[in-house]
Amino acid sequence: MSSQSIKILYIDDEENNLQAFKAAFRRVYEIYTAISAADGLKILQSVNIHVVIADQKMPNTTGVEFFQSITETFPDPIRILLTGYTDIEALADAINHGDVYRYITKPWNELELHNSIKNAYDVYKSRIDLRNKITELEKTNDELNRFIYSISHELRAPLVSVIGIVNLVKMENLYHSSGEYWSLVETCSNKLDYYIQKTLQYYKNNKTQSEESLIEFKPLATELIDLYAYANRDTQFTINVNQTVPFKGDLFRIEVIMGNLISNAIKYQKSNEVNKKVKIDIDVSNEFAEITITDNGVGILNEHLEKIFTQFFKSKNHHGSGLGLFIVKEALNKINGRIAVNSSIDHGTTFKITLPNGK
Amino acid sequence: MASEFKKVMLIDDNEIDLKINSKIISLAKLFDEIIICQSGEEGLDYLSKYILNPEKLPDLLLLDIQMPEMDGFEFLDYYKRLPRNFTSRCPVAMLSSTLDFGDIKRAEANAHVVKLLRKPLLTTELAALIGK
Repeated sequence: MSSQSIKILYIDDEENNLQAFKAAFRRVYEIYTAISAADGLKILQSVNIHVVIADQKMPNTTGVEFFQSITETFPDPIRILLTGYTDIEALADAINHGDVYRYITKPWNELELHNSIKNAYDVYKSRIDLRNKITELEKTNDELNRFIYSISHELRAPLVSVIGIVNLVKMENLYHSSGEYWSLVETCSNKLDYYIQKTLQYYKNNKTQSEESLIEFKPLATELIDLYAYANRDTQFTINVNQTVPFKGDLFRIEVIMGNLISNAIKYQKSNEVNKKVKIDIDVSNEFAEITITDNGVGILNEHLEKIFTQFFKSKNHHGSGLGLFIVKEALNKINGRIAVNSSIDHGTTFKITLPNGK
Repeated sequence: MASEFKKVMLIDDNEIDLKINSKIISLAKLFDEIIICQSGEEGLDYLSKYILNPEKLPDLLLLDIQMPEMDGFEFLDYYKRLPRNFTSRCPVAMLSSTLDFGDIKRAEANAHVVKLLRKPLLTTELAALIGK
């Protein structure tokens, strides 16, 4: 914006001052003048003023009173107070109630006033820019929320229909009727659905404020096993919960953490294992909940142990998304939890998580 | 819950899902009759038309959440105004692919909703719900 279009309103009860101001600055700025606070208000109402300069000593309404009266209605213009004498009380008032940016004594020094106006306009501009940025961000955030909602509905709904059709194919004994095509369709659909679900989980984990509620681990663990084991009934679960004290924590994130670990324990079983086993031990004290999830599955290579929590890490032999444990770690970070892993290849893996009790 | 589940009403705007779910239900032989409605309005019209005709009324409602015009929750607002002697013997199960936390909480909080079933519909889950 050229300085010519910077709009200045100058209010002073002395016509001479108004004229002098105009003469000095009219080539540089777009100048509006008013002989009283009331006249000044009228101009504010019709013109988008950037900087307001007011004389302190005016009949009826003083400069500070005027500034004070427009703090709600016209908060944007930057204010400069002019006074002919040093009045500490007016100065304190100006700062405390009038939201005044600069205080300049009369007679003004042209260069000083000029610089003050320029700086005031910069402040005006950055305030407006900031506000526009915030509006823009809010809009983006809103769109993102809608986008996430539509992923969870519009994008997932037809996919779930496809999975429903595959189930029908199974019920009608047509699953093997076209070679392996149906099983391929099923694998791809499940994988896509898994990615959608994990992406949503990751997003929600980042967005959602931590919300604490009382947690009963026994029913929670049973529910999660039901949820993740329904497609895989041949794994034996043992649950030992020792909870005699109340536990307060972030239910959403604890579900995400335990859910991902339980689903991994089921997923990474050895296909030739006859006794697929998952053991869940939960010990709750006043300070912590310690959750240990042990499986007798394929195990994790020693050199992979450090990488399993990084995003998109996948081992060669297995078809994970590379998101599950990454999300577990992100969720644990949000609630100050810890995780440790112990694994022996071909014998199984133990994950131990420690969650602070927020009682 | 009613001792005998004979009729089920499916309310879903998605024709493909209606087709899939009614096929799954009839293959599993869980109900004798399936009443298919493509919108909440259609469902309400049917229910109020036969409200004095118990043998025409469903014993279970499977209700989608995301629908244009009237969504599942709006439908429930009208549903609860139907005579109690009907609504108390015809439970509602939401049937949705939603993963939205808000939807899940709202469904759980509604007194008429006995269960939030996830799509795709599994016969085992439906059978467990009606105790067969």
